[in-house]
Order: sequence, then C-alpha cells, then structure tokens
Amino acid sequence: MKTIIEPFRIKVVEPIRMTTRDERERLLADAAFNLFRLHADDVLIDLLTDSGTGAMSSLQWAGVMRGDESYAGAKSWYELEDSVRTLTGFDHILPTHQGRASERILFELVGGPGKVVPNNNHFDTTRANIEHSGARAVDLVIAEGRDPRSRHPFKGNIDIAALEALIADVGAEHVPLVMITITNNSGGGQPVSLENIRAARAVCDRHHLPLFLDACRFAENAWFIKQREPGQQDRRVADIVREVFGLCDGATISAKKDGLVNMGGLLLLRDAELVQRADELLILTEGFLTYGGLSGRDLEAMAQGFREVVDEDYLHYRIRSTEYLGERLLAAGMQIVEPPGGHAIYIDAAAFAPQIPAQRFPGQALAVAMYREAGIRACEIGSVMFGKGGRPPMELVRLAIPRRVYTQSHIDYVIEALTEVYRNRDQLRGLEIVDEPPSLRHFTARFREV
Amino acid sequence: MLQKRSWAEPWKVKMVEHLRMTTREDRERAIAEAGFNTFLLPSEFVYIDLLTDSGTSAMSDTQWAGLLKGDEAYAGSMNFYHLESAVRKFYGYKHLIPTHQGRGAEHILSQLCIKPGQVVPGNMYFTTTKVHQELAGGRFADVIVDEAHDPDSEFPFKGNVDIGKLRRLIDSVGAKNVAYLSLETNVNMAGGQPCSMANIKETCALCHDHGIPVFLDATRAVENAYFIRMREPGYADRSLAEILHEICDQTDGCTMSAKKDALVNIGGFLAVNDDSLAEEARNMVVIYEGLHTYGGLAGRDMEAMAIGIEESVHLDHMHARIGQVEYLGEKLMEAGIPIVRPVGGHGIFLNAARMLPHIPREQFPSQALAAALYVDSGVRAMERGAVSAGRDHDTGKNLYPSLELVRLTIPRRVYTQAHMDVTAESVIALYENRDNVVGLRFTHEPKHLRFFQARFEPVSGTRVLKD
Repeated sequence: MKTIIEPFRIKVVEPIRMTTRDERERLLADAAFNLFRLHADDVLIDLLTDSGTGAMSSLQWAGVMRGDESYAGAKSWYELEDSVRTLTGFDHILPTHQGRASERILFELVGGPGKVVPNNNHFDTTRANIEHSGARAVDLVIAEGRDPRSRHPFKGNIDIAALEALIADVGAEHVPLVMITITNNSGGGQPVSLENIRAARAVCDRHHLPLFLDACRFAENAWFIKQREPGQQDRRVADIVREVFGLCDGATISAKKDGLVNMGGLLLLRDAELVQRADELLILTEGFLTYGGLSGRDLEAMAQGFREVVDEDYLHYRIRSTEYLGERLLAAGMQIVEPPGGHAIYIDAAAFAPQIPAQRFPGQALAVAMYREAGIRACEIGSVMFGKGGRPPMELVRLAIPRRVYTQSHIDYVIEALTEVYRNRDQLRGLEIVDEPPSLRHFTARFREV
Repeated sequence: MLQKRSWAEPWKVKMVEHLRMTTREDRERAIAEAGFNTFLLPSEFVYIDLLTDSGTSAMSDTQWAGLLKGDEAYAGSMNFYHLESAVRKFYGYKHLIPTHQGRGAEHILSQLCIKPGQVVPGNMYFTTTKVHQELAGGRFADVIVDEAHDPDSEFPFKGNVDIGKLRRLIDSVGAKNVAYLSLETNVNMAGGQPCSMANIKETCALCHDHGIPVFLDATRAVENAYFIRMREPGYADRSLAEILHEICDQTDGCTMSAKKDALVNIGGFLAVNDDSLAEEARNMVVIYEGLHTYGGLAGRDMEAMAIGIEESVHLDHMHARIGQVEYLGEKLMEAGIPIVRPVGGHGIFLNAARMLPHIPREQFPSQALAAALYVDSGVRAMERGAVSAGRDHDTGKNLYPSLELVRLTIPRRVYTQAHMDVTAESVIALYENRDNVVGLRFTHEPKHLRFFQARFEPVSGTRVLKD
C-alpha cells in the first residue's frame, strides 16, 4: 500500500482559532515582530517547535492519572528508571525538569574557562550553557552538513579529521568531552550514522576522552540509520538505539522530543564519581533524585513515551510526514535543506528572499510573512539565533512538526500558504533589532520592519 | 462557617489511590536498605506518607479539568496568562516569572540580588534557601525572635523578625552590605509558625528606610494569613485574600513553591514589582528553567496552579486544613508527647530531644525517631534537626540547632481523620517504649544538603527499634 496512515486515531481534540489578516497585522506589531512573543491562541498552526508540543497517547494519559506524587521514592520514578534502562542500557539516570537543566548540570561539572567542547552542531541552549561556564563551544559538522543542497545521507556527521585536529591543537586535557547531537537540529535535523559515532568513539578512546550524546531525537536518528546505512536494514530500531547509547559515556536528553511528553529531561552518566557530584547539583537546583523537579505523573508519562517512540510504524509515519512537506515545497520551487530532516523542514530563507541581506534577517522576515499570510508560526534559525557568535550561519526558517498533532490537511494548508508567500516573495521586507538581551536573544528581542 | 468542634472538609472524595500494607519485617528490611533515612525509602513501602506537604496534595476536579486544558505551546501559552492574572490578583506583584519549582526561583533571585560578601538576614534558615544564598557568595544571618527557638513558648507569632536583632545587624555591617531581607511566612524550620502583620509591616518599614529590599518566601503565606485572621486583633473579619494581599504589599517580590499553599504537584514562581529586575530575571530564567512564558512547566501545570491559587484562599478550605493539623496535635498533647507549640500550619513537630533523652545529640535522636516511627507503623516522617542543619561552613563541625525535631507533615486534602488516629497511636506507642529506640551514626555523609542522601547505622545492634 502506498499511503502511510497514522498508527493511531484521535482521542481528544483541542480547538484552534482562525484570525483575520487585520488582527494578525496588529498582533505582529504588538509582538514586536518576534513570534516567540505571540499569544499561542492567536496562532492557527504552531510549527515553532516540536519540543513539548506533542500529543500524548491514551496510555500516557493513564500514566498521568497513575502518577505517584511522593516526594521520595515514588513508584513512578522506578517505572521511569526501568523504562530508560531497558531503552539505553544506562544504570545512572538523573531526571531533570527539561533538557537544558541536564546540560547545565553537566557543564557546571565539566565546563569552565579554558575548556573546549566539540560537537557536530551545538544547539542554542547547549551553546549558552557551555559559554555560561566559561568554556568554548566548537561546531565540527562535515562540510556537506553546511551545504543545503547536498544530498549526503548523514549530513549530521561530525568531521572526524577536524575533531582529531582540534584535539591536537588545543590538547586533550582541555577537552572535557566530545559531544554529538542526534539528530543534528541546527544543521537541519540531519542524522548521524552509526559508523560516524563509532569513529568518534575510537578518537575518544585514543585520547581517553568521554563521548556524550545530545540525544533528544535518538529514535528518529535510529530510524534514518535503519533506512540509509548499509547493513542496518534488518535490525530493530530498539537495537540500534541501544547500540548508539552503548557507544557513549553519557547523554543529555530533552524528553520533550522523542520522549513524547510535554515536560521532562534526563541526564545519563556512567562515571560514578561524576554521578555523585551531579546528584548534589540536581538536588540543589532541580529536585530530589527520584523526581528531579517533575511531578510523579510526568515521570510516568515519560516512562511510557520512551516505550512508544521506538515503535517502527510510528517512526515510519513520523519521518514520512516530514518528508511529504519537504517534497511539496521543493516541487513548488522553494529551496530547503535537503534531504528533508526528521522533525522539521528548514527553508533556505537566503534563497527565498535574496533581496534581504543577512543583517536584515531574511529568516525572520520569512517567518513574519508566514504568520501574516496564514497564522502559521515558524522559527528563525539563522542570524537572529546564532548571528552573534563565530561563523555566519545558514539563514533558515524551521517548520518543526509537533508529534501526532497535525493532520495531512493541516500540512496541505501550510504548503498552500507558503506557496502564496513564495509567489509574492519580492514583497518580503527585512527587519532590524530594536532591543535585545545579552544571550539567547531570539526568545525576547524586539524588531521593526525596515 | 464551621466551628472549631468539627473541621469537616469542604469537599468529598472523587478519586482514590491504593495504599499497600506492610509487615513489621518488611519495614525493618526496608529501613535498613534505606540506610535508616526515610528519604531513601521507596514510597510503595510507606503506609502514611508525612515526609512533606510539598507537591503531595490532592488536586480538585477543577484542577484536573485544568490539566486537560493545558496549552502546550512553547511560547505564549494561554495558561501562562491565566497564571499571571491569578498571581497579580491574589499576590499583587506586577511581574510573574514561572519556574519549575520553588528552588528554581530561589536560585534566580540569589544569583541576581546577592553580591559576594553580602549578608542576607532572614527569619530562620531554610535548607535549600541558605545553600543558594551561599553559592551566590552571600551569608545568611538569623534575625528571628528568640521564642522561635523555644519549643515550649506559646507565643502566637513565633515566625516574627526580632526588630532589635535586625537593626543591630544593619548597623554593624552597614545597609549596603545587606543584599535583601528574606522574609518567610509560616516559618517551616520553626514548626510552621506565623508572622504577625504588625511585625511584617515594622520589619519592611525598617528595611525600606535603609534602602534594603524585602523578598517574601510566600510558600505558605496563605496559611500565615489564616493565623493572622485567627490571632491578630483587627483581622477577624478580613478575608484571607485581603490579608494575603496586604502581606505581599509590604514587600518587593516573592519566591514561591506552589507545591504547598497552591495545591499543585509541581510548580513555582518568582514575582517582583521592579521592571528592570523582572527583565534580568526573564533573561536568566530562559537559561536555567525555560522560556519566560513557561519557566520549565507544562502548560497544564500552570493552569492547575492558577486554579489552585484561587482555591487556597477559601476560608473553609484553610479551616479544614489547619483544623486537621490541630486535631493531630491535640491528640498528641493529650498523651503528653512533647511537640512544638503552638501547633503550626503544615505539620506537627515532635521534640525528639525531649522524647528520647537517652540518645545524645551526636547520635541524632530525630533521625532515630523518624526511622523507628516507620518501623513501628509505616508512617514516614522527616528529620528536622542536626542532620538537616549540616556542618559549620568554617569549622566543619556538626551544627546542633536548638530545635531537634521530627516533622509529621500533613499533605493537603489527602489523608482522613482515621489516618491521623493511626499516626497518633504510633507516636504514643513509641513514646511509651522510647528506651527501645537506638541512636544512629553516619555511614555516608554528602557535602551539601546531607539529609537527603545520608546513610546511617544503629550505634549498637542492627535495628533502630528493639522489640
């Protein structure tokens, strides 16, 4: 059969609200042209992020009802511990309220001035946490990963030669750990091959360095490995996931992605001494070891989410849905990061609106136009988000697809709206910043149209 | 209004959660495996869980309905705006910054408002608050009234700030070396003891005269408001909402663990009036907690909090809440059990030093009593004495606070009168057989907040409660 259907039916719905163009003009001005500032009920289709925006299953909601809210030793915690151990093979599991808390604890322990942390591409909060500790965050994705047109099957791979060179240059003693983000979010949701992770492991072994994963989308990455990597076709996704985690010494996970929950995160560690120090920080800033700043019901929902996400029918539907949106945008003439990634389509805004220079934020301009045209909220990933540090980034607009939330008709609406914006692309206007905070400016900066 | 004779609850039960009964052998094994630390017991081995009132409440059907109305958008969730309006209405502060729980708010406030070397006076320490102040380079100074340290004093407002102590502190270090005053309502470590409105006003006026801001720890401010209504002249006819607003009006902002008064299982916030402090806090919350319109909370949890805040100021609710705590306290006092008096808002604090005079302070009578209580009946309590106080920052020696207590904390709307009766019977039975309780010593002692994860063994034999 050619059509891929969702391996679920709908149990609860949430009404969404239509707005008029006049309303949206006013709302945009009120939000200072920063879509993070919009009230969510003024958004028709919200593609701002796939983080925490998924629909939970009836089994997860049943877990919500079952939540044991005991402060210490809750049953729901043991349920989660068991689920994550089965999934990853890790023994030491720290729950956190979300991924950035895992990152903060990790880099408070291993970061600091003079340290250098390589990654394929650091995501915004990872970079912020590393830099906040005084360390330097370095991106080492392969060259194909920076070319939006390259059809390389694993564009998220870390450049092994560049990694070796960096370690030789700064000295292994200044590299507290090597990190790989799966899938590579800032690089377009592109996967990392098993072979590449093994090669990074070998480099780490040679220099006695720990290898860590930013594993938010580990299941989507494993699906790509199964589809694209020679010799992996006959393995279960769950086995690939287990092998990937087995290759590393620790991981930070935002469970708001492949954990299929609205809130929650994990820090996985092997080193017992590091675990003890992490435990103390966890208690101080997150919560006791058996709840980590989450309610019992959230632990329960996460335990079930990690079981559901490695279901191959689900992953097939998930990745194919994203690909469908990408194919249709390409057919309409737009340029996107190819091939389509796992959780989002990244439109090349520089190609979309070549008349707008980087300093006038073409990505932000396109995102504003999408909201103005059709009430769709997307996320700029370009000079606004990353423009203040290092190499000039690609100018992208990310259409992130929440898990199990929108139907094909919603996606068709998005395609039509974008096609309309593309037809009138000459009218897109650049923006300038009115004011901005010292870090993570994309969340709160104010803009005006030029 | 219901009179004191009966504190019948203004609700009926809608959903129940099964409890597991255990045998004494089960419990002896469980507490030994937990290193005689009740924090390390798996909850399924606990019968009546009085470890904490934090996050352990039963939500109402309206709050559960709110969970289903959760708007999980990353930015601008409707639930945030609902919560913001509830905080403005009941607490009165201009800016709301949600956090995943109270310690997230304390972390941000300490980082923003304390310069290294500054002093942070407060009406008695709280464990996590003090560590956050120290990590930011500050030093805590206790300015609570002396009565707070006397478990037998019947003073009605044992949470009060000692104005003389505060003035002397400001004079000796200089106002510019005082970061802010941390003012806790219904002071937890003193036994859930309230501050009077007169004292709050005088304290805040003194601070503001010296240009020192006051930040409220509003965690149990509604329970404090209830005591003001019951005990302070001129407040008998005022609503809890009015009193709460008046408390907050005196101060510059608050940190809040919503897991107590606000009847939720997770959530907290920082609320301030100052525009530029709010802006700095928003920039910081996004790094540590989450974007400023969710602060690390699911939309549904912000909704439940907004509804819980509204429910918390209902007089009938608070009457039943405090009435249940008083009921347990009176039962214990009738049997001659030494407890902190007057009975506080959120729990009964057993005077372990007095209950177990044969166990010296170095053998942690509170820790031993909590472990023995669990063995006797499956009731889980919390040590609040020398183990919680930790070691002196400079000398490294054990601190022995004047209060060596075991806290029986009552979750809101969870346990029935019969559960309270079982608890009282167990405490009374233990008191009668107190010579059978054995002191403890450390086998593992963490550096910070040691009470959470410490492990112990009996100083003699293998059991904390002999037959």
